[in-house]
Amino acid sequence: MLLQLLLNGIIAGAAYALVAVSFGIIYSTARFFHFAHGAVYVAAPYCAYVFIVWAGMSPLFALPVAMVIAASLGAALEFVVYRPLRRRGASPLILLLASLGLLIFLQNLISLAFGDQARTLRQGDVVEGIRLLGARVTPVQTVIVLCSVLSCALVWVFLHHTQMGRIVRAVGNDSELARMVGMDSDRALLVTFFVGSGLAGMAGILVSYDTDMRPTMGLQALLIAVVAVIIGGTGSVEGSFLGALLIGLVQNLVVWKISTQWQDAITFLLLLLFLLLRPQGLLGRASKGVAV
Amino acid sequence: MLYFLHILTLVCIYTILAVSLDLLAGHTGILSVAQAAFYGVGAYTSALLAVRVGCTFLESALAGVFAASVVSFMVSLPSLRLHDDYFVIATFAFQIIIFSFFNNSMPLTNGPLGIPGIPQPAIGGWTVRTHMQFFIFAAVIAALAYAVVSRLATSPFGRVLHAIREDEVFIRSLGKDTLRFKVVAFAVSAALAAFAGSLYAHYITYIDPTSFTVTESILVISMVIIGGPASRWGPVIGATILVITPEVLRFVGLPNSVAASLRQVIYGALLVIMMTFRPRGLVGRYGFMRR
Repeated sequence: MLLQLLLNGIIAGAAYALVAVSFGIIYSTARFFHFAHGAVYVAAPYCAYVFIVWAGMSPLFALPVAMVIAASLGAALEFVVYRPLRRRGASPLILLLASLGLLIFLQNLISLAFGDQARTLRQGDVVEGIRLLGARVTPVQTVIVLCSVLSCALVWVFLHHTQMGRIVRAVGNDSELARMVGMDSDRALLVTFFVGSGLAGMAGILVSYDTDMRPTMGLQALLIAVVAVIIGGTGSVEGSFLGALLIGLVQNLVVWKISTQWQDAITFLLLLLFLLLRPQGLLGRASKGVAV
Repeated sequence: MLYFLHILTLVCIYTILAVSLDLLAGHTGILSVAQAAFYGVGAYTSALLAVRVGCTFLESALAGVFAASVVSFMVSLPSLRLHDDYFVIATFAFQIIIFSFFNNSMPLTNGPLGIPGIPQPAIGGWTVRTHMQFFIFAAVIAALAYAVVSRLATSPFGRVLHAIREDEVFIRSLGKDTLRFKVVAFAVSAALAAFAGSLYAHYITYIDPTSFTVTESILVISMVIIGGPASRWGPVIGATILVITPEVLRFVGLPNSVAASLRQVIYGALLVIMMTFRPRGLVGRYGFMRR
């Protein structure tokens, strides 16, 4: 029982980590809470649904295309909404409000098109799954863990060992200064939104294979990502990953003692505790921007 | 006609909510996504006291206001030390915890089943019964809430709030304890929202957790922003527009589920458009939290 819960925690944590890391790179570059990321996360599985279930395409073709669509949606949001706002000197709060509006707008467009009921990308019966030390793991869950670890590692390599990644980090650190030394901060942001949104799309698709999808699942996933990024320490891929893992484990171990209904409350209590006691997060350095 | 009065009553209730949030978001420049949580605390406290204990409307509403203020201190004292958008996240967290509490504490709140049979308000010997009476009752309370906020905004206390909005560090350097001002503003805002909550509970006579979700909080934020933060009539206009729009959609003959989504599509889009082209709102003068 305990082992199964631990494993479930790791699997949930791996899925959260994908969203958290993708949200984290956007947050640490653009420096505002991009809530519409939740809508991008939902858009990908619905695209895949149209391709696979309605048009009957092969998942091998449909899934990458859905991911690219999600990535382009994120980049489009940056290009059409956020960039003009920034040009007008919008504060992070204005950007946050605009992205809340975008989230609600896109999420309800999806529910207009597909209805509010749960759908799944899974076809055929649920596979029983392999046994691992007396606990069960389905193939999809194995894929989730692998994709998550691999993608997060790739993001880390991208940020720390490529020219573009260095520019992205520089822009996140001080976009004014980065511009002054000739870096194209607009392009760096566009790249960040593209990469981050593609990863969020991947997470949405994987989760919809494992369980199911609803138009409203975006806000939930996004809030967990925000919590993971904050408790992990903003600006650190490893931190976001650890934070997400911690949430996954806590949520599932809570089931052991209390019932599942309290998972949300526990997650956000964890956030409040971190905000009050360690606002820089697990791996973050003492930050300049958190407290007044 | 009854339907018309019902809509007007809802406009009054949402006006109270919008005005209460405006004190925070418009006048003090701090945004909270927890307004629906305080609305809910007011509604639940007053509904439970009226149904289980048998308190009168005034007693239970005041208890709701009191409960919301106490809860608001527990939230604001620690979180108001956080910076702008971190504070928003903290209120998000609080909103979700409170919703989870309403939804899961079966013995106390009856969970998703909600609380039925809340009595209609009676003050002295007079019971508010018909739609017309209720509309007048709600309008009087909305006017009072409006008066409280405008009075506060023009008082010396309000001037400090405005100064905090413009430049908090500077006003602190003049020796003002800004945290105290923000905490008090937050409590007054929560108290007003709670009063709107008990009004709602005693009007509909039934409450369940779905009326107090994050989406509801965002709706109230949209009202303030679309109308115009810290302006004379902004929140009232915003509340009126956003309450009436979905009703118009219903008249066009759309099924309820489509109308509900379409309404949110519209207010989401409005929020983005306002932020881009007119962050001070329809009738506002002050650019919303622009630095």
